[in-house]
Amino acid sequence: MKSQVEAEEITAFVDGELDLARQLALEERARLDEPFKAQVDALRQLRQAIRQQATYHSAPAALRQRIASPPRQPRRDEPGAGWLAQAARRWFAWRPMIASLGMIAVVVAPLNWMLLRSMQDDRMLDDVVASHVRSTLGRHLIDVESSSHHTVKPWLSAQLDFSPPVAELPIPGSTLVGGRVDYLDGRPVAAVIYRQGSHTVNSFAWPGASRDSPVQWATSRGYQTAHWAHGGMNHWVISDLNPQELSTVVRAIQNADATP
Amino acid sequence: MGEEDDRRRFETLVLPHLDAAYNLARWLTRNDHDAQDVVQESMVRAMRYIAGLRGEQARGWLLQIVRHSCYSWLTQNRPAEQLYLDDTLDPAFEIAAPSADEPHAVAVRQADRRALNEAISALPVAYREVLVLRELEDLSYGEIAHIADIPVGTVMSRLSRARGLMRTALAPSTRPALRAVPKSTQGAGKS
Repeated sequence: MKSQVEAEEITAFVDGELDLARQLALEERARLDEPFKAQVDALRQLRQAIRQQATYHSAPAALRQRIASPPRQPRRDEPGAGWLAQAARRWFAWRPMIASLGMIAVVVAPLNWMLLRSMQDDRMLDDVVASHVRSTLGRHLIDVESSSHHTVKPWLSAQLDFSPPVAELPIPGSTLVGGRVDYLDGRPVAAVIYRQGSHTVNSFAWPGASRDSPVQWATSRGYQTAHWAHGGMNHWVISDLNPQELSTVVRAIQNADATP
Repeated sequence: MGEEDDRRRFETLVLPHLDAAYNLARWLTRNDHDAQDVVQESMVRAMRYIAGLRGEQARGWLLQIVRHSCYSWLTQNRPAEQLYLDDTLDPAFEIAAPSADEPHAVAVRQADRRALNEAISALPVAYREVLVLRELEDLSYGEIAHIADIPVGTVMSRLSRARGLMRTALAPSTRPALRAVPKSTQGAGKS
Protein backbone atom coordinates (compact mmCIF):
# COMPACT_ATOMS: atom_id res chain seq x y z
CA MET A 1 0.00 0.00 0.00
CA LYS A 2 3.04 2.26 0.07
CA SER A 3 3.35 3.89 -3.33
CA GLN A 4 -0.39 4.26 -3.49
CA VAL A 5 -1.53 4.70 -7.04
CA GLU A 6 -3.94 7.58 -7.25
CA ALA A 7 -7.52 6.62 -7.86
CA GLU A 8 -7.54 8.88 -10.89
CA GLU A 9 -4.57 7.13 -12.34
CA ILE A 10 -6.23 3.74 -11.93
CA THR A 11 -9.26 5.13 -13.72
CA ALA A 12 -7.10 6.35 -16.58
CA PHE A 13 -5.27 3.04 -16.60
CA VAL A 14 -8.51 1.08 -16.84
CA ASP A 15 -9.57 3.32 -19.70
CA GLY A 16 -6.23 2.93 -21.46
CA GLU A 17 -5.71 6.67 -21.34
CA LEU A 18 -2.24 6.74 -19.79
CA ASP A 19 0.83 7.28 -21.87
CA LEU A 20 2.33 4.03 -23.09
CA ALA A 21 5.22 3.83 -20.61
CA ARG A 22 2.97 4.38 -17.61
CA GLN A 23 0.34 2.05 -18.98
CA LEU A 24 2.90 -0.74 -19.31
CA ALA A 25 4.31 -0.03 -15.85
CA LEU A 26 0.89 -0.35 -14.25
CA GLU A 27 0.14 -3.53 -16.16
CA GLU A 28 3.31 -4.95 -14.76
CA ARG A 29 2.30 -3.84 -11.31
CA ALA A 30 -1.17 -5.34 -11.65
CA ARG A 31 0.51 -8.70 -12.17
CA LEU A 32 2.54 -8.45 -9.01
CA ASP A 33 0.54 -6.28 -6.62
CA GLU A 34 -2.56 -8.13 -5.45
CA PRO A 35 -4.40 -5.23 -3.80
CA PHE A 36 -3.75 -3.06 -6.85
CA LYS A 37 -5.00 -5.84 -9.11
CA ALA A 38 -8.17 -6.10 -7.01
CA GLN A 39 -8.79 -2.38 -7.45
CA VAL A 40 -8.28 -2.60 -11.18
CA ASP A 41 -10.53 -5.63 -11.47
CA ALA A 42 -13.26 -3.90 -9.48
CA LEU A 43 -13.18 -0.93 -11.81
CA ARG A 44 -13.14 -3.13 -14.88
CA GLN A 45 -16.17 -5.00 -13.63
CA LEU A 46 -18.03 -1.80 -12.89
CA ARG A 47 -17.13 -0.57 -16.32
CA GLN A 48 -18.31 -3.74 -17.96
CA ALA A 49 -21.53 -3.75 -15.95
CA ILE A 50 -22.36 -0.20 -16.99
CA ARG A 51 -21.55 -0.85 -20.62
CA GLN A 52 -23.57 -4.02 -20.75
CA GLN A 53 -26.50 -3.17 -18.57
CA ALA A 54 -27.03 0.56 -18.30
CA THR A 55 -29.81 1.68 -20.59
CA TYR A 56 -28.77 3.26 -23.83
CA HIS A 57 -31.66 5.56 -24.67
CA SER A 58 -32.26 5.42 -28.38
CA ALA A 59 -34.21 8.25 -29.95
CA PRO A 60 -37.96 7.52 -29.97
CA ALA A 61 -39.41 6.94 -33.43
CA ALA A 62 -41.69 9.95 -33.11
CA LEU A 63 -38.75 12.25 -32.44
CA ARG A 64 -36.76 10.73 -35.27
CA GLN A 65 -39.66 11.22 -37.63
CA ARG A 66 -40.17 14.80 -36.58
CA ILE A 67 -36.53 15.62 -37.14
CA ALA A 68 -36.01 13.59 -40.29
CA SER A 69 -39.25 14.58 -42.01
CA PRO A 70 -38.42 15.88 -45.45
CA PRO A 71 -38.31 19.66 -45.71
CA ARG A 72 -39.76 19.79 -49.20
CA GLN A 73 -43.46 19.94 -48.39
CA PRO A 74 -44.02 21.43 -44.97
CA ARG A 75 -47.60 20.55 -44.06
CA ARG A 76 -49.12 23.25 -41.96
CA ASP A 77 -52.17 21.20 -41.02
CA GLU A 78 -49.92 18.70 -39.26
CA PRO A 79 -48.22 20.37 -36.35
CA GLY A 80 -44.72 19.02 -35.94
CA ALA A 81 -44.46 17.68 -39.46
CA GLY A 82 -41.68 19.38 -41.33
CA TRP A 83 -40.97 21.13 -38.11
CA LEU A 84 -37.24 21.13 -38.56
CA ALA A 85 -37.57 22.15 -42.14
CA GLN A 86 -39.74 25.05 -41.11
CA ALA A 87 -37.40 26.08 -38.36
CA ALA A 88 -34.45 25.75 -40.66
CA ARG A 89 -36.20 27.66 -43.37
CA ARG A 90 -36.95 30.38 -40.87
CA TRP A 91 -33.28 30.67 -40.16
CA PHE A 92 -31.80 29.97 -43.49
CA ALA A 93 -34.21 31.68 -45.76
CA TRP A 94 -35.93 34.53 -44.02
CA ARG A 95 -33.02 36.43 -42.68
CA PRO A 96 -30.93 36.47 -45.83
CA MET A 97 -34.06 37.01 -47.87
CA ILE A 98 -35.09 40.03 -45.86
CA ALA A 99 -31.54 41.29 -45.84
CA SER A 100 -31.15 40.85 -49.56
CA LEU A 101 -34.55 42.36 -50.24
CA GLY A 102 -33.47 45.30 -48.14
CA MET A 103 -30.24 45.56 -50.09
CA ILE A 104 -32.09 45.32 -53.37
CA ALA A 105 -34.53 47.96 -52.25
CA VAL A 106 -31.70 50.27 -51.24
CA VAL A 107 -29.90 49.75 -54.52
CA VAL A 108 -32.91 49.72 -56.77
CA ALA A 109 -35.05 52.42 -55.20
CA PRO A 110 -33.10 55.44 -56.56
CA LEU A 111 -32.67 53.65 -59.87
CA ASN A 112 -36.33 52.86 -59.95
CA TRP A 113 -37.19 56.40 -59.03
CA MET A 114 -34.98 57.76 -61.78
CA LEU A 115 -36.47 55.32 -64.25
CA LEU A 116 -39.94 56.28 -63.15
CA ARG A 117 -39.05 59.93 -63.49
CA SER A 118 -37.71 59.47 -66.97
CA MET A 119 -40.77 57.42 -67.90
CA GLN A 120 -42.92 60.21 -66.56
CA ASP A 121 -40.93 62.71 -68.56
CA ASP A 122 -41.29 60.56 -71.66
CA ARG A 123 -45.01 60.38 -71.20
CA MET A 124 -45.18 64.10 -70.61
CA LEU A 125 -43.16 64.68 -73.74
CA ASP A 126 -45.62 62.60 -75.74
CA ASP A 127 -48.56 64.44 -74.21
CA VAL A 128 -47.01 67.82 -74.86
CA VAL A 129 -46.24 66.96 -78.47
CA ALA A 130 -49.73 65.58 -78.97
CA SER A 131 -51.25 68.69 -77.47
CA HIS A 132 -49.10 70.94 -79.60
CA VAL A 133 -49.94 69.01 -82.76
CA ARG A 134 -53.62 69.08 -81.95
CA SER A 135 -53.53 72.80 -81.36
CA THR A 136 -51.78 73.53 -84.65
CA LEU A 137 -53.83 71.09 -86.73
CA GLY A 138 -57.26 71.92 -85.54
CA ARG A 139 -58.82 75.20 -84.87
CA HIS A 140 -58.48 75.00 -81.15
CA LEU A 141 -55.20 76.83 -80.90
CA ILE A 142 -56.46 79.85 -79.01
CA ASP A 143 -59.22 80.35 -76.48
CA VAL A 144 -58.48 83.97 -75.89
CA GLU A 145 -56.85 85.92 -78.67
CA SER A 146 -54.81 88.86 -77.54
CA SER A 147 -51.33 90.22 -77.86
CA SER A 148 -51.51 91.70 -74.40
CA HIS A 149 -50.68 89.71 -71.32
CA HIS A 150 -53.08 92.02 -69.49
CA THR A 151 -55.83 90.26 -71.34
CA VAL A 152 -54.47 86.75 -71.57
CA LYS A 153 -53.35 86.37 -67.96
CA PRO A 154 -56.65 87.37 -66.30
CA TRP A 155 -58.56 85.18 -68.68
CA LEU A 156 -56.40 82.14 -67.88
CA SER A 157 -56.55 82.89 -64.16
CA ALA A 158 -60.30 82.96 -64.39
CA GLN A 159 -60.45 79.60 -66.14
CA LEU A 160 -57.92 77.87 -63.92
CA ASP A 161 -57.27 77.48 -60.23
CA PHE A 162 -53.92 79.20 -60.57
CA SER A 163 -52.42 82.26 -62.23
CA PRO A 164 -49.88 81.31 -64.88
CA PRO A 165 -47.03 83.59 -65.87
CA VAL A 166 -47.85 85.37 -69.10
CA ALA A 167 -45.60 87.91 -70.80
CA GLU A 168 -44.79 89.42 -74.17
CA LEU A 169 -41.34 88.29 -75.11
CA PRO A 170 -38.84 91.08 -75.85
CA ILE A 171 -37.22 89.26 -78.70
CA PRO A 172 -37.42 90.14 -82.41
CA GLY A 173 -40.16 88.45 -84.40
CA SER A 174 -42.04 87.24 -81.31
CA THR A 175 -45.71 87.89 -80.87
CA LEU A 176 -48.01 86.87 -78.06
CA VAL A 177 -51.11 85.60 -79.77
CA GLY A 178 -53.25 84.34 -76.96
CA GLY A 179 -54.02 81.72 -74.37
CA ARG A 180 -55.78 78.40 -74.12
CA VAL A 181 -56.75 75.93 -71.45
CA ASP A 182 -55.35 72.53 -72.20
CA TYR A 183 -55.17 69.20 -70.44
CA LEU A 184 -51.82 67.70 -69.42
CA ASP A 185 -50.48 65.54 -66.68
CA GLY A 186 -54.00 64.72 -65.57
CA ARG A 187 -55.07 68.31 -64.96
CA PRO A 188 -56.05 71.54 -66.73
CA VAL A 189 -53.02 73.61 -67.61
CA ALA A 190 -52.41 77.04 -69.02
CA ALA A 191 -51.13 77.26 -72.59
CA VAL A 192 -49.69 80.54 -73.79
CA ILE A 193 -49.23 80.79 -77.55
CA TYR A 194 -46.54 82.76 -79.26
CA ARG A 195 -45.66 83.16 -82.84
CA GLN A 196 -42.06 83.31 -83.77
CA GLY A 197 -42.01 84.25 -87.41
CA SER A 198 -44.26 81.67 -88.97
CA HIS A 199 -43.71 79.14 -86.16
CA THR A 200 -46.07 78.47 -83.35
CA VAL A 201 -44.79 78.14 -79.81
CA ASN A 202 -46.91 76.52 -77.11
CA SER A 203 -45.84 77.37 -73.60
CA PHE A 204 -47.56 75.23 -70.97
CA ALA A 205 -47.52 75.95 -67.27
CA TRP A 206 -49.19 74.38 -64.27
CA PRO A 207 -48.45 74.32 -60.57
CA GLY A 208 -47.27 71.34 -58.57
CA ALA A 209 -43.47 71.31 -58.96
CA SER A 210 -42.00 70.46 -55.58
CA ARG A 211 -38.67 72.10 -56.38
CA ASP A 212 -36.95 74.06 -59.11
CA SER A 213 -35.19 72.10 -61.81
CA PRO A 214 -33.01 73.36 -64.66
CA VAL A 215 -34.11 73.31 -68.28
CA GLN A 216 -34.04 69.95 -69.95
CA TRP A 217 -34.17 69.73 -73.71
CA ALA A 218 -35.73 67.03 -75.77
CA THR A 219 -36.66 66.35 -79.35
CA SER A 220 -39.64 64.33 -80.41
CA ARG A 221 -41.00 63.80 -83.91
CA GLY A 222 -39.16 66.88 -85.13
CA TYR A 223 -40.42 69.17 -82.37
CA GLN A 224 -38.11 70.82 -79.92
CA THR A 225 -39.20 70.86 -76.34
CA ALA A 226 -37.87 72.36 -73.18
CA HIS A 227 -39.13 71.77 -69.67
CA TRP A 228 -38.18 73.09 -66.31
CA ALA A 229 -39.68 73.96 -62.98
CA HIS A 230 -39.55 77.30 -61.30
CA GLY A 231 -41.43 78.84 -58.40
CA GLY A 232 -43.66 75.81 -58.00
CA MET A 233 -44.64 75.86 -61.66
CA ASN A 234 -43.97 73.18 -64.21
CA HIS A 235 -43.09 74.63 -67.60
CA TRP A 236 -43.11 72.88 -70.94
CA VAL A 237 -42.36 74.79 -74.12
CA ILE A 238 -42.71 73.17 -77.52
CA SER A 239 -42.26 74.42 -81.05
CA ASP A 240 -41.05 73.47 -84.48
CA LEU A 241 -38.36 76.13 -84.12
CA ASN A 242 -34.79 74.99 -84.35
CA PRO A 243 -33.13 74.37 -80.99
CA GLN A 244 -31.20 77.65 -81.02
CA GLU A 245 -34.29 79.75 -81.64
CA LEU A 246 -36.25 77.81 -79.06
CA SER A 247 -33.54 78.38 -76.47
CA THR A 248 -33.85 82.12 -77.12
CA VAL A 249 -37.60 81.88 -76.58
CA VAL A 250 -37.18 79.79 -73.44
CA ARG A 251 -34.66 82.24 -72.00
CA ALA A 252 -37.06 85.11 -72.72
CA ILE A 253 -39.92 83.27 -70.98
CA GLN A 254 -37.73 82.54 -68.00
CA ASN A 255 -36.59 86.15 -67.77
CA ALA A 256 -40.17 87.41 -67.98
CA ASP A 257 -41.12 84.94 -65.25
CA ALA A 258 -38.27 86.07 -63.04
CA THR A 259 -39.08 89.76 -63.43
CA PRO A 260 -42.82 90.07 -63.76
CA MET B 1 -29.12 25.89 -53.21
CA GLY B 2 -27.13 26.37 -50.02
CA GLU B 3 -30.17 25.30 -48.06
CA GLU B 4 -30.31 22.04 -49.99
CA ASP B 5 -26.62 21.44 -49.36
CA ASP B 6 -27.05 22.16 -45.69
CA ARG B 7 -29.95 19.78 -45.49
CA ARG B 8 -27.98 17.04 -47.20
CA ARG B 9 -25.02 17.58 -44.90
CA PHE B 10 -27.36 17.49 -41.94
CA GLU B 11 -28.85 14.20 -43.08
CA THR B 12 -25.56 12.50 -43.80
CA LEU B 13 -23.41 13.89 -40.97
CA VAL B 14 -25.70 14.77 -38.09
CA LEU B 15 -28.77 12.55 -38.26
CA PRO B 16 -26.77 9.30 -37.81
CA HIS B 17 -25.91 10.54 -34.31
CA LEU B 18 -29.48 11.19 -33.27
CA ASP B 19 -29.40 8.25 -30.86
CA ALA B 20 -26.24 9.52 -29.21
CA ALA B 21 -27.83 12.95 -28.92
CA TYR B 22 -30.96 11.55 -27.37
CA ASN B 23 -29.06 9.24 -25.03
CA LEU B 24 -27.04 12.12 -23.62
CA ALA B 25 -30.07 14.39 -23.34
CA ARG B 26 -32.09 11.62 -21.72
CA TRP B 27 -29.41 10.93 -19.14
CA LEU B 28 -28.89 14.59 -18.35
CA THR B 29 -32.56 15.55 -18.11
CA ARG B 30 -33.62 12.14 -16.74
CA ASN B 31 -36.94 12.54 -18.48
CA ASP B 32 -38.20 11.33 -21.87
CA HIS B 33 -40.33 14.32 -22.70
CA ASP B 34 -37.73 16.89 -21.77
CA ALA B 35 -35.03 14.97 -23.59
CA GLN B 36 -37.10 15.10 -26.76
CA ASP B 37 -37.58 18.84 -26.42
CA VAL B 38 -33.90 19.38 -25.80
CA VAL B 39 -32.86 17.20 -28.73
CA GLN B 40 -35.32 18.94 -31.00
CA GLU B 41 -33.93 22.30 -30.01
CA SER B 42 -30.39 20.97 -30.43
CA MET B 43 -31.20 19.81 -33.94
CA VAL B 44 -32.44 23.26 -34.86
CA ARG B 45 -29.17 24.67 -33.62
CA ALA B 46 -27.22 21.98 -35.42
CA MET B 47 -29.02 22.82 -38.64
CA ARG B 48 -28.36 26.49 -38.07
CA TYR B 49 -24.65 26.01 -37.48
CA ILE B 50 -24.11 23.12 -39.89
CA ALA B 51 -21.91 25.27 -42.10
CA GLY B 52 -19.39 25.36 -39.25
CA LEU B 53 -19.17 21.56 -39.02
CA ARG B 54 -15.86 20.35 -40.40
CA GLY B 55 -14.75 16.86 -41.19
CA GLU B 56 -15.57 13.69 -39.31
CA GLN B 57 -16.13 15.07 -35.83
CA ALA B 58 -19.88 15.23 -36.28
CA ARG B 59 -20.79 13.21 -33.20
CA GLY B 60 -18.68 15.25 -30.80
CA TRP B 61 -19.87 18.43 -32.46
CA LEU B 62 -23.50 17.43 -32.07
CA LEU B 63 -23.03 16.20 -28.49
CA GLN B 64 -21.47 19.55 -27.63
CA ILE B 65 -24.60 21.27 -28.88
CA VAL B 66 -26.85 18.81 -27.05
CA ARG B 67 -24.93 19.23 -23.83
CA HIS B 68 -25.20 22.99 -24.12
CA SER B 69 -28.93 22.76 -24.73
CA CYS B 70 -29.29 20.41 -21.76
CA TYR B 71 -27.49 22.77 -19.43
CA SER B 72 -29.62 25.67 -20.63
CA TRP B 73 -32.70 23.58 -20.02
CA LEU B 74 -31.49 22.44 -16.58
CA THR B 75 -30.64 25.99 -15.57
CA GLN B 76 -34.15 27.07 -16.46
CA ASN B 77 -36.10 24.08 -15.22
CA ARG B 78 -33.99 22.48 -12.52
CA PRO B 79 -32.34 25.41 -10.76
CA ALA B 80 -31.85 23.27 -7.66
CA GLU B 81 -29.63 20.82 -9.53
CA GLN B 82 -25.94 21.28 -8.91
CA LEU B 83 -24.72 21.92 -12.43
CA TYR B 84 -21.21 23.13 -11.88
CA LEU B 85 -18.86 21.42 -9.51
CA ASP B 86 -15.88 22.81 -7.75
CA ASP B 87 -13.72 19.80 -8.40
CA THR B 88 -11.38 20.55 -5.55
CA LEU B 89 -13.96 20.99 -2.81
CA ASP B 90 -16.62 18.40 -3.39
CA PRO B 91 -16.78 16.20 -0.28
CA ALA B 92 -18.01 13.30 -2.40
CA PHE B 93 -14.44 12.91 -3.59
CA GLU B 94 -13.33 11.45 -0.33
CA ILE B 95 -15.65 8.50 -0.30
CA ALA B 96 -15.00 7.82 -3.95
CA ALA B 97 -11.57 6.28 -3.73
CA PRO B 98 -11.77 2.55 -4.31
CA SER B 99 -10.03 0.31 -1.87
CA ALA B 100 -9.07 -3.24 -2.49
CA ASP B 101 -10.56 -4.95 0.50
CA GLU B 102 -14.19 -4.06 -0.16
CA PRO B 103 -16.46 -6.69 -1.66
CA HIS B 104 -17.52 -4.29 -4.39
CA ALA B 105 -16.53 -6.50 -7.23
CA VAL B 106 -19.08 -9.09 -6.35
CA ALA B 107 -21.73 -6.50 -5.73
CA VAL B 108 -21.19 -4.85 -9.07
CA ARG B 109 -21.31 -8.11 -10.92
CA GLN B 110 -24.66 -8.81 -9.38
CA ALA B 111 -26.02 -5.34 -9.91
CA ASP B 112 -29.04 -5.46 -12.09
CA ARG B 113 -29.98 -3.05 -14.81
CA ARG B 114 -32.34 -1.07 -12.69
CA ALA B 115 -29.88 -0.54 -9.87
CA LEU B 116 -27.25 0.54 -12.34
CA ASN B 117 -29.58 3.01 -14.03
CA GLU B 118 -30.65 4.41 -10.70
CA ALA B 119 -27.08 4.78 -9.56
CA ILE B 120 -26.15 6.66 -12.70
CA SER B 121 -29.22 8.88 -12.41
CA ALA B 122 -28.31 9.71 -8.84
CA LEU B 123 -24.87 11.07 -9.81
CA PRO B 124 -24.36 14.83 -9.91
CA VAL B 125 -24.93 15.89 -13.48
CA ALA B 126 -21.27 16.85 -14.06
CA TYR B 127 -20.20 13.30 -13.13
CA ARG B 128 -23.11 11.74 -14.95
CA GLU B 129 -22.31 13.35 -18.27
CA VAL B 130 -18.67 12.29 -18.14
CA LEU B 131 -19.62 8.72 -17.24
CA VAL B 132 -22.30 8.48 -19.93
CA LEU B 133 -19.98 9.87 -22.59
CA ARG B 134 -17.22 7.49 -21.53
CA GLU B 135 -19.14 4.26 -21.01
CA LEU B 136 -22.16 4.57 -23.25
CA GLU B 137 -20.63 6.57 -26.10
CA ASP B 138 -17.13 5.12 -25.65
CA LEU B 139 -15.50 8.50 -26.18
CA SER B 140 -11.89 9.19 -25.31
CA TYR B 141 -10.91 11.58 -22.53
CA GLY B 142 -9.91 14.09 -25.17
CA GLU B 143 -13.26 13.95 -26.90
CA ILE B 144 -15.12 14.23 -23.61
CA ALA B 145 -12.97 17.19 -22.61
CA HIS B 146 -13.90 18.88 -25.87
CA ILE B 147 -17.61 18.22 -25.51
CA ALA B 148 -17.85 19.18 -21.85
CA ASP B 149 -15.43 22.07 -22.29
CA ILE B 150 -13.19 20.98 -19.41
CA PRO B 151 -9.51 19.97 -19.23
CA VAL B 152 -8.61 16.33 -19.79
CA GLY B 153 -7.40 16.13 -16.20
CA THR B 154 -10.85 17.13 -15.01
CA VAL B 155 -12.41 14.45 -17.18
CA MET B 156 -10.17 11.92 -15.50
CA SER B 157 -10.89 13.09 -11.97
CA ARG B 158 -14.64 13.34 -12.53
CA LEU B 159 -14.72 9.93 -14.09
CA SER B 160 -12.77 8.52 -11.18
CA ARG B 161 -15.18 10.08 -8.71
CA ALA B 162 -18.19 9.04 -10.72
CA ARG B 163 -17.03 5.45 -10.59
CA GLY B 164 -16.29 5.74 -6.91
CA LEU B 165 -19.83 6.98 -6.29
CA MET B 166 -21.21 4.20 -8.44
CA ARG B 167 -19.30 1.60 -6.45
CA THR B 168 -20.53 3.07 -3.23
CA ALA B 169 -24.09 3.20 -4.50
CA LEU B 170 -23.99 -0.37 -5.71
CA ALA B 171 -22.29 -1.73 -2.62
CA PRO B 172 -24.65 -3.89 -0.51
CA SER B 173 -24.27 -1.63 2.48
CA THR B 174 -25.80 1.35 0.72
CA ARG B 175 -28.32 -0.48 -1.43
CA PRO B 176 -31.32 0.38 0.74
CA ALA B 177 -31.12 3.91 -0.54
CA LEU B 178 -31.64 2.74 -4.06
CA ARG B 179 -33.84 -0.32 -4.08
CA ALA B 180 -36.38 -2.13 -2.01
CA VAL B 181 -34.89 -4.68 0.35
CA PRO B 182 -36.55 -7.11 2.71
CA LYS B 183 -37.44 -5.48 6.03
CA SER B 184 -35.30 -7.84 8.05
CA THR B 185 -32.07 -6.66 6.38
CA GLN B 186 -32.92 -2.97 6.26
CA GLY B 187 -31.71 -2.17 9.76
CA ALA B 188 -28.38 -3.87 9.20
CA GLY B 189 -27.97 -2.23 5.79
CA LYS B 190 -28.22 1.29 7.19
CA SER B 191 -24.98 1.10 9.13
